Amino acid sequence: MNEIHQRRIFDYLVKNKIENFIGVPDSTMKYFIDQGFKRKKVLITTREEEAIGIASGFALSKSNSLVFMQNAGFANSISTITSLVQLYEIPLIFLIGWRGYLKKDAPEHMKIGKIQPNLLKILDLPRKIITDKNWKASCNWALKKLANHESCTLIIRRVFL
Amino acid sequence: MIRKEAIRLISKKIVGDVIVSANGYISRDLFEVNDKPTNFYMIGSMGLASSIGLGLALQNPKKMIHVFDGDGNILMNLGSLTTISKLKPKNFIHIIFDNSSHESTGGQPTSTNKISIDAIAKAVNFKVFKCHSKNSLDKIFKKIKKMYGPIIILVKISKSEKISRRVSLPPKKIKARFMKSLQS
Repeated sequence: MNEIHQRRIFDYLVKNKIENFIGVPDSTMKYFIDQGFKRKKVLITTREEEAIGIASGFALSKSNSLVFMQNAGFANSISTITSLVQLYEIPLIFLIGWRGYLKKDAPEHMKIGKIQPNLLKILDLPRKIITDKNWKASCNWALKKLANHESCTLIIRRVFL
Repeated sequence: MIRKEAIRLISKKIVGDVIVSANGYISRDLFEVNDKPTNFYMIGSMGLASSIGLGLALQNPKKMIHVFDGDGNILMNLGSLTTISKLKPKNFIHIIFDNSSHESTGGQPTSTNKISIDAIAKAVNFKVFKCHSKNSLDKIFKKIKKMYGPIIILVKISKSEKISRRVSLPPKKIKARFMKSLQS
């Protein structure tokens, strides 16, 4: 996804009352995160589960959060998603990079990239791939889910090597 | 002091303020000795009580947020201490009940009989207190009333013989009444 859209997504979500952006960085979405730093609204954590825990504390206080991470971090987070987010029905937006989407990505990304769509499916996490073309509609979809107290996932594909 | 006794004494000192309790026997003991809507029983997601507490502390600066953690729990999320320290929430009190074991799973040892959590907490700039007895508990709680967080109180406890019952509230109910209590 190009730089300008990544920055616009950030601004659009802030405008629509997402107050906290917490996570572990991913170069796939580095402009999105950079926009957050410019606006002093990003918290980088040591691990992805930690980010989900903090975001849950905010959600319990009725403050909306987005949690960003690489797909490696998503794999780390599965137990936290099932035993915290889904157990208590805590509404969060996840933004997850998709390394291993291209067939020639680095070897450490290939396996997780391959199983990522199925992992999301069996977790029952509603998901959409966000692109340069559909970014606004995808954000609106996620914001609507959140307004209905549901968690959901936006996926950014890694389309460069 | 056994954990249940320590949890009873400490939770009675926390009136009207939030407690986030770690999974396992810590939540079970708290539920049995002092159940309140202001308690958030984290029954899964081991390690994350301090992170949930951090989010709560940042969003609710006028409330004191207490985290009831265990040694096994905090060792699973040590990075959390660095994040909390970076943000310095004044209203964050982290109470770690340390029996150097994973008691809920059969008493397997943790490393806290060889390493000291208080030294780690000091290294990342927490105000740290160590408690071995009921007497020192009272003194520490008097002292911290006049202090700003983030504070860690390490409470050394011995292993228990009796096991408290499970938290019988459904998770959605725990959440709903907790959220309601935050609004007041």
